Amino acid sequence: MQLKNELDLLFWSSELLFTLAQLRQFPKVYWIWNHRIWVLENHLDSSVNIWKEELVMVSKLLKIDARNFHGWLYRRIIVRKIEQLTGEKKLFEELAYTTENINNNISNFSAWHQRTVLLSKIFGENENESNAKMIHDEFAYITNAMFTDAEDQSVWFYIKWFIKNKVVRETLEPSEYARLLQELHSNVVMINQDDLEFSGKENNWCLKILIVLDDVLKNIGIETCIEKKKCLEQLINADPLRKNRYLCLLNDGQ
Amino acid sequence: MASKERGTLLKEKHVRYIESLDKKQDTLEFWLTEHLRINGVYWGLNALCMLRSKDVFNREDLIKFVLGCYVESTGGFAAFPRHDAHLASTLSGIQLLKMYDAIDSLSKSQIDKCVNFIKSNQMKDGSFQGDRFGEVDTRFVYTAISSLSILERLTPEVVDPAVDFILRCYNFDGGFGLCPGAESHAAQVFTCLGTLAVVNRLQDLTKAQVDEIGWWLCERQVPEGGLNGRPSKLPDVCYSWWVLSSLSLIDRLEWIDFEKLRGFILDCQDEKRGGISDRPDNEVDVFHTVFGIAGLSLMGFEDLVPIDPTYCMTYDITNTIKKYPYN
Repeated sequence: MQLKNELDLLFWSSELLFTLAQLRQFPKVYWIWNHRIWVLENHLDSSVNIWKEELVMVSKLLKIDARNFHGWLYRRIIVRKIEQLTGEKKLFEELAYTTENINNNISNFSAWHQRTVLLSKIFGENENESNAKMIHDEFAYITNAMFTDAEDQSVWFYIKWFIKNKVVRETLEPSEYARLLQELHSNVVMINQDDLEFSGKENNWCLKILIVLDDVLKNIGIETCIEKKKCLEQLINADPLRKNRYLCLLNDGQ
Repeated sequence: MASKERGTLLKEKHVRYIESLDKKQDTLEFWLTEHLRINGVYWGLNALCMLRSKDVFNREDLIKFVLGCYVESTGGFAAFPRHDAHLASTLSGIQLLKMYDAIDSLSKSQIDKCVNFIKSNQMKDGSFQGDRFGEVDTRFVYTAISSLSILERLTPEVVDPAVDFILRCYNFDGGFGLCPGAESHAAQVFTCLGTLAVVNRLQDLTKAQVDEIGWWLCERQVPEGGLNGRPSKLPDVCYSWWVLSSLSLIDRLEWIDFEKLRGFILDCQDEKRGGISDRPDNEVDVFHTVFGIAGLSLMGFEDLVPIDPTYCMTYDITNTIKKYPYN
């Protein structure tokens, strides 16, 4: 508090300029990010404006380095502050920001991660009806994503979270949930078949997710034509780095 | 790469490399890394312990250095004499004293002050800030809890909220982030599981969670054999420790391919001057040297002294720590 009154506006602005220059050079140094938050918190201008400018700044930095987890963390702090100061939630704007990042690069796991955080919040605040619409849209989005790049693990980690999510399970009519899962299942089978025909090899991530889907479908009383045991046996050969995990799962299933 | 001789850990060269670090006081780099000095000394000594060469460092000189880093006014350890105390350097200081069985070179009142320093940095939500400047991170939860454990001064008032905080850092993918809502990172997985292990609370995780954690961790191994810290990132030798210790803590160590990882670590050795780098043909440093060797130790290769995945010190040292909860 004392500092705030002793130092003039010029000091605080030049401190922001100084830390920005440092961040451009050392974007992975914890201390600089932390100091910058301290500067913003103590800035003579306590209006929302400096925080809004900061959101523009961090978007620029994330354009340069889209996986910088300091930047993503920082962004969440800035957004929370803007929400507090304005009393308006920015959940949908931020969700759109993750879509934009994922569309730019489907392997941007930081953006997928952020999407799970935001969707969980949105699910918690929405009415059932709008959640149902969002869940349908999301099934379409992930289907599109896995057809875009079936090699990358980011989208598959997201899918395995999404299909098991409690709100997803409980919002939809059981028959509708089952239908969407089965549709997803046949799409994964299709991608795997395409890979097999194209390269002579099955897609490891398709096999891994089919095992998850098999469990989820079984839980709601639906048997699939895909045999979990067969998938695991294939993975033992096709993904030897992780063969002991598959052996473990085989034993668990017995 | 063809010239590289695959399959040997150049132990003697690594010992000489670590020994040489202490003698570089005439270089600028030595003075520029002052803020990490006590951590660096811990990394070096820890590597020497695994290599059965603890005597390469002079015990008395080192204890003197560590005590010189103790900050009387606050009770914590700084990274270097006359710097400010921080939780990260405090753990290194306590580890170094423990490794020399020299905790009692601190007086009773110094230890009390140190315990107070650590506890005073705990926040309302159970997390810890590194120092009074307020940076919160699961790294500091680990450093605080591990320090208190080595000093045998854990209490439920400190432990229970810390455990709650750690569990809130668990993510959708089976990893942990540096605070609730932050993206999973393999080093943070270690700090979170390590904290739970220190306070004997790994059983707070469900079987389903442990399986997810194991899955996420084993997907860190890339075709070259090395491990990365997050999806779609390059492998780095230091994750040989963060990922493997985590897998070991949840009893799924063998979920990655040992031989492949071993090959990757050995390819990162500087065959002339010793030391290990982050990736093949890069510049070596003591940080990657210790974590490369620690990875090999966890996998049981090279006849190294076994390392404890909970404390990142060899078992002969950690066996003497009283286990929490105390009776």
